This record gives sequence, structure tokens and C-alpha cells, in this order.
Amino acid sequence: MSETFTIRLSVNGCELEGRAEARTSLADFLRHELGLTGTHVGCEHGVCGACTILLDGAPARSCLTLAVQASGARVETVEGLAVDGELHPIQRAFLEERGLQCGFCTPGFLVSTLELLRRNREPSDDEIRDALGGQICRCTGYQSILASVRRAAEKLRETDGG
Amino acid sequence: MAEGRFVGRSVHRVEDPKLLTGSTRFIDDLALPGMLHCAILRSPHAHARVLSVDTSEALSLPGVAAVVSGEDALRWTERALTVPAGWGTHCLATDRVRFAGEPVAAVAATSRALAEDALERIRVEYAPLPAVVDAGRAARPESTPLFEEHGHNIVFQRRFRWGDVEAAFRGADRVVERSFRWHRLGANPMETFGVISQWDPVEGSLTCHGSFQSQSQMALGRAASLRLPSHKVRLISQPHGGSFGGKGGSRGTDITALLSRKAGGRPVKWIEDRIEYMSGGASQSWDRHYTASLALDRDGRVGAFRVKLLDDLGATAEGFGAVSAAKPLASFTGCYAIPVAEYDLTIVATNKLPGSPYRGMGPPPHNLVLEQLMDVAARELALDPAEIRRRNFIPPDRFPYTIPSGNEYDSGNYEAALDAVLELSDYAALRARQGAARAQGRLFGIGVVSTIEPGVFDWNAYSILGMPSTGVPEGCSVAIDILGKVIVRVGFAHEGQGQYTIATQLLADFFGVELADVQVVPQDSLSAPPHFGPGGSRLGVALAGAVLGAAEKLARKLSLVAAHLLQTESEKIELRDGAFAIRGVPGAMLSLAQVAGTMLARSDLLPPGVEPSPEATYVWTAPGRTQPDELGRAKSYLTAANACHVVAIEIDRETGRVEILDYFIADDCGTRLNPATVEGMIQGGVAQGIGAALLEEYHYDASGQPLTATLMDYLLPTIHDVPETRKTAIVTPSPFTPLGAKGVGEGAMHTTPAAMLCAINDALSPLGVVATEIPATPERLWRLMKEQPR
Amino acid sequence: MKPVPFRYVAASSAEEAVARLAEHGDDAMILAGGQSLLPLLNLRLARPSVLVDVSRIAELDYVVESDGALEIGAVTRKRTVEHSPLVRERHPLLHTATGLIGHAPIRSRGTVGGSLVQADPAAEYPALAVALGATLRVRGAGTTRTIVADDFFQGFLATALEPGEILAAVRWPLLPSRSGWSCLEFARRPGDFALAGVVASVSLDDTGRYCDARLVPFGVGPRPVRARAAEAALAGERPGESLHLRAAERVAAELGPPQSDAHASSEYRAHLTRVLVQRALAEAAARATSSRGRAPGV
Repeated sequence: MSETFTIRLSVNGCELEGRAEARTSLADFLRHELGLTGTHVGCEHGVCGACTILLDGAPARSCLTLAVQASGARVETVEGLAVDGELHPIQRAFLEERGLQCGFCTPGFLVSTLELLRRNREPSDDEIRDALGGQICRCTGYQSILASVRRAAEKLRETDGG
Repeated sequence: MAEGRFVGRSVHRVEDPKLLTGSTRFIDDLALPGMLHCAILRSPHAHARVLSVDTSEALSLPGVAAVVSGEDALRWTERALTVPAGWGTHCLATDRVRFAGEPVAAVAATSRALAEDALERIRVEYAPLPAVVDAGRAARPESTPLFEEHGHNIVFQRRFRWGDVEAAFRGADRVVERSFRWHRLGANPMETFGVISQWDPVEGSLTCHGSFQSQSQMALGRAASLRLPSHKVRLISQPHGGSFGGKGGSRGTDITALLSRKAGGRPVKWIEDRIEYMSGGASQSWDRHYTASLALDRDGRVGAFRVKLLDDLGATAEGFGAVSAAKPLASFTGCYAIPVAEYDLTIVATNKLPGSPYRGMGPPPHNLVLEQLMDVAARELALDPAEIRRRNFIPPDRFPYTIPSGNEYDSGNYEAALDAVLELSDYAALRARQGAARAQGRLFGIGVVSTIEPGVFDWNAYSILGMPSTGVPEGCSVAIDILGKVIVRVGFAHEGQGQYTIATQLLADFFGVELADVQVVPQDSLSAPPHFGPGGSRLGVALAGAVLGAAEKLARKLSLVAAHLLQTESEKIELRDGAFAIRGVPGAMLSLAQVAGTMLARSDLLPPGVEPSPEATYVWTAPGRTQPDELGRAKSYLTAANACHVVAIEIDRETGRVEILDYFIADDCGTRLNPATVEGMIQGGVAQGIGAALLEEYHYDASGQPLTATLMDYLLPTIHDVPETRKTAIVTPSPFTPLGAKGVGEGAMHTTPAAMLCAINDALSPLGVVATEIPATPERLWRLMKEQPR
Repeated sequence: MKPVPFRYVAASSAEEAVARLAEHGDDAMILAGGQSLLPLLNLRLARPSVLVDVSRIAELDYVVESDGALEIGAVTRKRTVEHSPLVRERHPLLHTATGLIGHAPIRSRGTVGGSLVQADPAAEYPALAVALGATLRVRGAGTTRTIVADDFFQGFLATALEPGEILAAVRWPLLPSRSGWSCLEFARRPGDFALAGVVASVSLDDTGRYCDARLVPFGVGPRPVRARAAEAALAGERPGESLHLRAAERVAAELGPPQSDAHASSEYRAHLTRVLVQRALAEAAARATSSRGRAPGV
């Protein structure tokens, strides 16, 4: 009854391959089959947002996606942000503005912020809240996260040159 | 030393780069060779006898390595130590289940999915028993006892009387009394509990990696429950994704230990999923029924405070929920100079999840009750809520101040905090806004509250509940290596409060080095010096004590060596800019590396009596703790931080929804070792406080079935629910702690629920109704408003 | 928790999906966006032997305007609808309702068809479909049929889909010019399931009186139905507070007592419905008034 599939997909720009049962979630596949443990699992019912990754450019709950459904897809996770240990401007912004405490929810916030700022370089506070409304943080009380996203937008606008 | 290059400044956290890149290893990120995965079968009944458990079919499923049930627990474990004693069970149900979700059997298999498939093949026969679900009925002698050996469900009962309360109420100009209901809620960190246990059949020892808040406490508990010598139990605390008290894990650790034992010593991993956490983990706290009263004179000065609490603990005392009901003694009368008080406490067992610690550990509901009564009195006496508090504050020149319930507040200036927040909020303008809104018939409310946050606990006070004294030390070792780098070894893992950064700041300042020259190394429960870890808002203070104590010891040793090498007396040596130098003699200096290197490599050059070891260990405990007297009074919590909040809200008359308009905070936690960290603690507490006040609640039905099973039902505050708050700091240093810092980790959780309910009741006051139930959901407020059609 | 073991097949066409369903019968479940199904699988409440994945059927992923309606393929992601300039411009009600559904990551994966087939009484799309008189195209083995929304939603989580059928597309009629609309809901937190909600679509005649009003409450009954008695009360009257209150009372009376659960009592849901009907009518009427004399579809 337990059929396994070979799943080929692009993760953070690299073509990767792994095996999974049909019932294996993308979250578990990324974490345990591919060893990319930066994406975390908090609930397995799609509410907490810790497992959020970008799937073909859109934020998605990896706990509510079967690994087989991601076959051939382009996945982006937190591991794709820093380059050679150099933090991405969004990560730097969260560092500077203390947008994290325990860090468990952070990868989900980072990729959601990445997607938001790709399509909107000058988000209003309301737009930030709408983009992050599905991500739960139990530690920070969100104020420093808002500050982090504003700072990240500023940093990205600077590197855009305007 | 309080304002150095790093201490007292908001330096970036050393924990953050790894967290931000997702490279910090949480427990579920670990895999050990040969590792199996555990799934736990749980009771569907709130109360039942267990007649039989047949695991044979599960065992025969390919990929299943071991199955355990109550008979294994009976053979290999003791009942859990509880506080009070005698209200615990084995990690797996033996003859009886007492809450829906209680573990009954467990499987170790090659994958979690497979282990869950195997659970479906375990056959358990139950004979349901009447479920005890109502706390009031549980307190009655005729209720079905959960523990037959006790014959009743009263886990603890005591009336504490401090002073002549009767006389104070008889002689009062005014008495205000109200009853309150605070519903179950709990920690819900984003990471649930997880553990990998490995039994060594040759050594008869146990090694566990896990998201343990206190690895040493947990290790002691495991030695007791698994009947192991304490030195054969080694726990390694992994960095974990928050705890807020509610990480728990005793049962899971014991169950995986049993499975590992049965699987010939293979490591067994159990990751508690969210469903398991919510109905079977350390997720529920403070299920309380209060009746309380104040006795006042006509000027609003409080002469006595009386509290009756019926606390619904749930099925066992394994989660330290009873300690939560006793902790209010540490700050019973809040910020006020109330001379006499009474606490009539009854803790009952019911067929619900055993209550666990949650941020604040008990005072948050108690503070809410006190602050509501202050406001009720204020309204009756036509006093502004800020004014009635001002009249009752303990004056700043009376510290250290002993409150009637026995604890001593170290320092404080409550009026300064009140004035600061009134100014920050432009209070007069807020009241004017309220006036204008009221003229339009809108329900605009302002809450002004002032609370104490006790910090730095010891177990001494809880001997009133039978808590064994295991001590709450915090030790660390500080070493300088041969190249001059500073290493500090501690006994706790990252949890979110930025404690590794605090240790780094302290040592960088002490030794005059850069932050990057310091490395914090966590050690396991057998390797680290005596330790406890985070809890009770203690770690900032305790760690500072440990780190500075060890640094000072080390510096003394290094000074002796430096003096000897520089051929002078040790009194003439000073530690300056990362080097040991002769005072007043420029150029006569040795670097840390030179001194440490000499100690390690050239013992022939050392003065007599000095070990070749540039390392020192220091263990810090809270000074001056006392044992409770016959009235239960003891010096329990070392520090008393203070917070004053002003919040403005509006209630939608039609729906009962509360909108938070503005939120202002003045917080006094003494010296701030890292101001940004402190603000983070405060804001995090505000969020949980808002959750408590408006959103979070666990429901049970009449047969004890949990109805709040997922995060779709239990409403955690989102970014839409928590306002940005404006904060200001007051600093009244503690005279008792290193650097004058006070505990702040539990922060605004002590204050926000009280502030929110005060604001809600202020908004409702034109209607003549009072909200007395938490959370104040839209439906509850709507029903309340319907009662008084105005 | 992890799901029970199951087999997985991905269909590349509607025909193939239907064939797979016929092959596996009752053992099979359709997987589209998975945002409703995966939580049930993860809780072991759904226990299929086979999942037939329809989410890769390209021919069912489209948004086009034709004959006075927007036709959307069942497999189209809600995110596509949300970001579609066509939808934003031509059907602001559909655009607004879509934005109320859950959170962005849920909309990334969730499909238009999925919401309709799931038929959760607290969902926006079924109510919207009934309010607009949407039609749903269903494919079976060798058959295609069109079902109006009123007939499609039959009860709590129950639709007119027969075993072996899949939803292929839905046609959302455009709003008439000079009309107004509102989609309001009351949820504990933004993105949560609505405790109660209302879709209102109204037109005003040249004298500013209601000439076509559609009111569909949701979250308060087993399936979305038009509140016809309330709609009748509005006909020929000018928008106004007391009229809207009367309409709200009619809605509540016609509905019958909503369900009680841990989230809200029946009484409170009924009350919320009355409040939301009034607010929705006020908003829809205001839109209708300001749209008079403007180009169609605005």
C-alpha cells in the first residue's frame, strides 16, 4: 500500500531529488529527506504558518502540500536567503530590529516577507499585516516584526537605487 | 559596571544569525543513527477503567520495533512525583485513565506515520466512569474520586490569614466584592515538545536530547520516575522554540525511554504534535473561580483584601499547576500598602488535562481580580482609577517592603511609573476623547493598572505545598583559552530570551574584549555546574550573578599570576582594556592570552598555590531566602518589577467586539542589561495578555471531552490583534541583585489582562454592567450589554 | 499527525480525472488545492485509499469573461483570482470575497472549485454563487451538466455532485451596471471562518428604490439560501435604516435558528446576521447610489 515516489524539484535554485510516500508532506520531505530543516512544523493543520515556503513564487503551507504535488516545482526556503553566510537584507533587517526571539516561526515570516517585498517595495502597515496575518508568533508580540519588515523594505529600496 | 560598552545597550543578539538562517538545531532537526519514531495512543475517555490492552497486532506490523503499555510502566517506572505529593500516575495509564488524551500505549517504528498506523491496531477495552468536570462539584465529598486512595478530589486546601481581616471588613466604610471566572488557557509556544531518548542496556543509563526548559530538573524527575541512579541520567537541552513554562515533556521522555529500552537501546524520537500538545501536553493553566473583596475607607484607602479561589487543576498534579495557585503569595497585595489579607485556596482535581505552568505562573489572574476591585471601588467613590491607585501605593521610601503574605519587595517607585505612563499617554486628552465618544453613545474605555512582576524564584516558599527543596542554583564556568578567547559554559539552551547575548555582553565588558571574542557553550545536565535555566523571570538576574561571580573568581586568579609575572603585588594589578596592567605604570601589561597561556603551558612560572587553570566556576542562588512560617510567609521571589499600563479601547455596541485604540506602558525592571531584549519581553507579554483577555480559551463538554482541539479552535493573537505599544522605562535598581537588574521575562502577562478588563469595564460603566469573565469574547460582552438595555 | 497510507494519481485532463474516479469508486477522493483536505488527512478524519489529484489539469485553470459572466475553471487557484486584473476590474464583489478567504498561503493553493465542492456553510464562495445565480459545470463519465448554485448546495458539506463527477468550471454573472454590493463577515480574527456573513447585491431604479436585491447570509445555516422574504420587503422601497432593520428581522425569521457550537451560540449568530444584513445593505446601497451614471462593471 505504501508506494514511494521519486520527486524532482528545484529548491533554492538547485535541482534536488528525493523519495517520499504519497502521504509525506512537503514539509517533512524538505526537512527529513532533503535535510533542509530550516522550515519548521508547528501544527500540521495550516494555521500557525511556521512551515510556510514559497512554491512557484507564492507563499504556501508546506504542511498542507503533499511532497508529490511539488514535483517539478520551484521551491524557496529560508536556506536560500543568505549567500555564503552573508545575511540577506531581509534577514539583516530582522536582526537589527529584533524581529525574532525563539526563532521557530521566523523562517515562515522571512519567506512571506520576501514574497511581499518582491511584489510591493513600499508596503503600508496594513499591507504588511495582510501579508503576515497568517503567520503566528508567540514571542515577539509582532511590533518588532513590523519594524523589521519596514526596515527590510527600506534596505531593498536602497539597493534598488531608489 | 552597569553601563559598559555592551551591558545596558541594545546589542544585536548572538543567537540571531543562526536562527535567521534556519541553521539552529531544534529537537526535530536531529537524527541519530538507528533512530525510531514514537506515536502515542491516548484515551478517548475523560474517566474510565482500563480493562485490557492488546498490543499483539501492532507488534506484528513490519517496521514496528517495540510497543509499550501500562504493564511496562508498572514494571519499570514509579508514579510521577507531584506537588502536592500523591496526586500523580505512571507515564502510561495502568488501571485507569483520568483525562481524555492520557497516554495508554506507545509504539516505536521506523517512521512516525507507520507508528500511527500501528496505533490503530492496538485494542484497548475501557469501562467508562462518571466524569468529574465541574470544579464546584469536584469539591464536594460525593464526587467520584479520581484517586481512590484519597477518596476525594481536594488536592489542596488552606486558608491563609495575615492579620485581622474580619476586623478590617467590619470597620470598613465601604466593601466591594465581586466574583470572577478565568477560563483555561495556556502557553502554546510555536514549537511543541520533542525528545530523543536513548537507553544504554550495558550501562543502565539514559541519555535524552529534548526541548527541555530545565534539563537538570527534568533529569532529576526522570531518575525518580524511571528508578535510575541520578548520575546515570543525562539530559541535553536543545535550543527550543519558546516555552513560556508550558514545555512539559515528562511523560513523553519516560515513554520514549521505555520504548528505547524495549527496542534494545535504539534511540526513540517523539515529537509532540499540536493536537497532542493541546489535549495531552503542558498546554492548559489557570482554570479559576474567584470571589474577592476589598475593605476601604471613605478616601479609597484599602484596609484589607480577601480572596477565595477555587482552582481546577485537572486530573493530576504532575504539571506543577498547584504551584501556580500558591505563587500569588509572592505579590498578593500588588503595589498597594494593604496591611491585612486573606487567601482561601482550594485546588480540586477534575477529569481534564493536568494544569501546567504558564508565563506568570499564577499572579496574572490574581492581579486581574485585584485591579478590577480597585476600579469598582474607584467608580463607587467617584475617584479616577489612577488616583485610587496613587493613594494606595507603597511609598518609594518604604523598601525593602514586606507584604502581609510574607514576601519582600526589593525596591520600587510606583508613583513614578504611574506618572510616566499618564504623561506618555496624555491621559487628560484620552479622557477628553472618551468624553466626546460617550456623548455620541460610543463605548470608549480606558484602563489604568499597576502590577508587580515577581522575579527570581526559589522553591522555598512552595514547601507549603510539599515541594521538595531541590534548589534553584545557576552556575557557569568561565575560562580564558590559550589564545585569549573567553568561553562560558552554561546549563541551559536557547529559548528566546537572548540569555546567551546577556552572558556575552557581561563577559565582553568584564574582560574588555569584543563580543565576538566570547563564546557561550551549553552543556548537558551532567557536565554543567549546578543549574536550573529559565523560569520565574530568574535567568537574567541569576545568569548575571553566575557569570560575574565566575569572572571575578577567574580575574582574581589571573591577577595573581599577572602580578607574579610582572613582579609586583596583586593589589597593584588592574584589568583594563583586555589586559592585566600595573596601575599607573604604562606599558607594564600582559594580555589575557599571555596570562592564560602561561598558566596552561608554563606551570613552572606560576606563583605557589595557583593551579594551572585559567578557569573558574561560580554558582549563584538568590540570597536571604527563608522557609515559610506557620502562616505560610516566606521571602520567595527576590525582585519585584513593576509595570503601569494605560490602554484605550472601544467596544462595538452591536457585536461586542473590542478594538484596542492605544496602548502605553511604563515598565520598571531595574537595570536593563539589554533594553531591546527587555522591550521584546514586554511586548511578547502584551500579546499573550491580549490573547488571554479576548481570545484564548479551552472548552470541555459535560463529559470531559476537550472541544478545543486545534489552533482553529484555540485563537492565538495574530499581527492584526496586537497593537504597537508605546513604552517608557523607569529604573529603580534592585539592591539585591548583581547590577540591579530585576526579572522581566514574564513581563506584561502580569498586567495586560488586568488592563484590558479594566478598560472594558470602564467602557461598559455607562451601562451599569461589569464583565467578570475572561476571555471577554464578543459574545460574552454582547450578552452582558443585553442585560441592561440603555 | 500523519495521514493513513494512500495511493496517489495525478490526472492531466478532466476526462482522465473522471476515468480515475470511475476506476476507484468510493475509495477515491479528489485532491485539488488540499487546503481543506490536507488538515482532514493529517487528522486521519479523511481516510481515502486513493487520491486523484486534479490540480495539474491545465484545461481547468483559467479566468475569462464571456456572455456577461466571468468563467473560472475549477482548478484555478484563489490567488490567481485575487491578483487577476480582469476580476478586480470586472467583478469587484468576487475580488473582495476572495480576499476574505483565509490567508495568503491558503489562497495560493486553494482552488475556486475546492471551496464550492467543500460547501462549508461558513465559506464565502457558496454564498456568493447563490447570490449571483452562478452556474456550475460538472463533468461525469461521458456527461456534462450545468447546475445552478441554488440547486448545487444541498446541505451541510453536501452538493449535487454525484459519485464519479468533478466540478469543471463556474460562471459568475457580472453585476449589472448601476448596482451595489457588499460582502461582510464577522470572524474572531481576520481570516478565520466567519461566525456569520452576508453577501448583498442590489440594484436601484431611476427613482433610487430597490428593484433587485439579493441577500444571502452564510455561516448560519447548513447551506446558503437567498433570503427571499427580506428581498421582497426591500423591493420598491428606498434604502434607509428602518427598512434595513426590517429586512434584517425578516432574514433572521426566515433563516430559523442557526447552529450553536463552541465558537458562537445560535442566538449570537442570529444577532450577528441581523447586524451584518443592515451594514451590508447600507454599504451596497451606497455603492449603488454612487454607481448611478457610471460605466458598466464599475
